Amino acid sequence: MESTHVTQEQADEFAIGSLPPEVAYAVILHADTCAACRDIVGESQRAAAALVIGLRRYAPPERLKGRVLRDAGITRPGPVAWAARLLTAGAGIAAVVVAIASFAGLVSLRGQVDELRDGNAQLQTNIDGALPTKVELAALTRRLSDTEKNNADLLAAALGDRELLLALLSPDSDVADVIPVNDSVNAIGRFVWDDAQKKVWFVANKLAATQKDQTYQLWVNSGGRYISLGTFNPDAAGYARYETVVPQGLKSYESAVVTIETAGGASERSGPSVFVTDLSRIRR
Amino acid sequence: MTWQGNPDVSAARNLNTSGDTSALRQGADDFASWPDNSLMTAIVARNESAFAVLYDRYVDLVYSASLRVLGDAQLAEDATQDIFVRLWRRPESFVAERGRFVSWLMSVVRNRAVDELRARGRRRRREGGPGSEGDEETLAALPSDTDDPLSTAQLHEEQVVVRGALVCLPPDQRVALELAYFSGLTQQEIALMLHEPLGTVKTRIRLGMQKLRRSLRGQV
Ligand SMILES: [Zn+2]
Repeated sequence: MESTHVTQEQADEFAIGSLPPEVAYAVILHADTCAACRDIVGESQRAAAALVIGLRRYAPPERLKGRVLRDAGITRPGPVAWAARLLTAGAGIAAVVVAIASFAGLVSLRGQVDELRDGNAQLQTNIDGALPTKVELAALTRRLSDTEKNNADLLAAALGDRELLLALLSPDSDVADVIPVNDSVNAIGRFVWDDAQKKVWFVANKLAATQKDQTYQLWVNSGGRYISLGTFNPDAAGYARYETVVPQGLKSYESAVVTIETAGGASERSGPSVFVTDLSRIRR
Repeated sequence: MTWQGNPDVSAARNLNTSGDTSALRQGADDFASWPDNSLMTAIVARNESAFAVLYDRYVDLVYSASLRVLGDAQLAEDATQDIFVRLWRRPESFVAERGRFVSWLMSVVRNRAVDELRARGRRRRREGGPGSEGDEETLAALPSDTDDPLSTAQLHEEQVVVRGALVCLPPDQRVALELAYFSGLTQQEIALMLHEPLGTVKTRIRLGMQKLRRSLRGQV
């Protein structure tokens, strides 16, 4: 080995499985910390995988899929089943929302970086810019999630919400905590701003129902002026998921606020505030 | 100012509320176009539809590779099941930064199958060796996608490129590579089997890999 780097020959032998286990392990460890060697090993692995990809293909018996799913404990609920569980889940939703945010901030970083790095070198700058914010926000939400019991089924349900998931995974999106204005509101919320899709999401749980002649209204403060993003109401379980498009021409924004207004929505912010979100620390 | 109200929460969530039978397909359709790494991210988050899509995408490849190593349809089926169940239970063992998903999956398949082979004392291989008549009999009895002209026409672009690269390999290099990869033999064991000096085997493997790397570089 030249210094501690992986030689081409070692990479090849690693890829075809000819290295002794302890040497193979050393290659893995080194490649994890050395980009140059990672590329060498990756290229060798690709060449070795070609031996398989080039094989004549055989299809396994149809029954195998059922066996695999059963053994994996997968009951294969579709979106409808997930939706039903969501609607009856009540307080568990908080964990879902929090888990999505944590998940988007931490777990997905690998895949995100990997794919976009492949796609366009220029995007790297954007990714590097977006990651610290996401990690920071994820750390916050992770703390919250410790107080709630995560539920894998519910997380899966929320992840079935493809558009929101895409927004959360996108390097062009930002996730901000939504803070209740007073202690009597114990709802938890997130504000997702996706520049790529030009969309905004507001998700919250444990949100109290408004009076019949009232509605929640979302506003964004741009240059000291409050611009309405629309109105919404939670479902019977207190879960609200509101999405809208970023108004055209909106370039800067300092904060977002949710107020209670008369049904149909107000043209000027006038009712009591329920949540505020500081958007200024979100990087552009 | 235009209003963008979402008065109906169930509609606002974009949830599919159509018939139950279409639900599963819709879940899978949502992921069908996702790249491997994104599917794995969703699988880490326990998304069952993403897993089903990944299974459909790779089951033939995993099964064929297992079959190639083990030379037995039932063993290959068991290995395939084990590999996918493990992938569902421990998806985080795939680390995207380390390389392409398919390369990782193939190394998992290869190692799992070769372990099985070793556990069986290499009896099967020692008697016949890869590409032996016994293997060919087993394989010939199975349905193959290449028997179907339609499937052939739909062969994945990568498979075409890879097959081209393999065809360009000198036979002795290809045999050495396949013995190492599919039989799990050490280079010393390959040398014994082929009645060639160890140095010759090492050279064939080195040149074969070099040639494959060059053929694939910049492709796909
Ligand atoms: Zn190195």
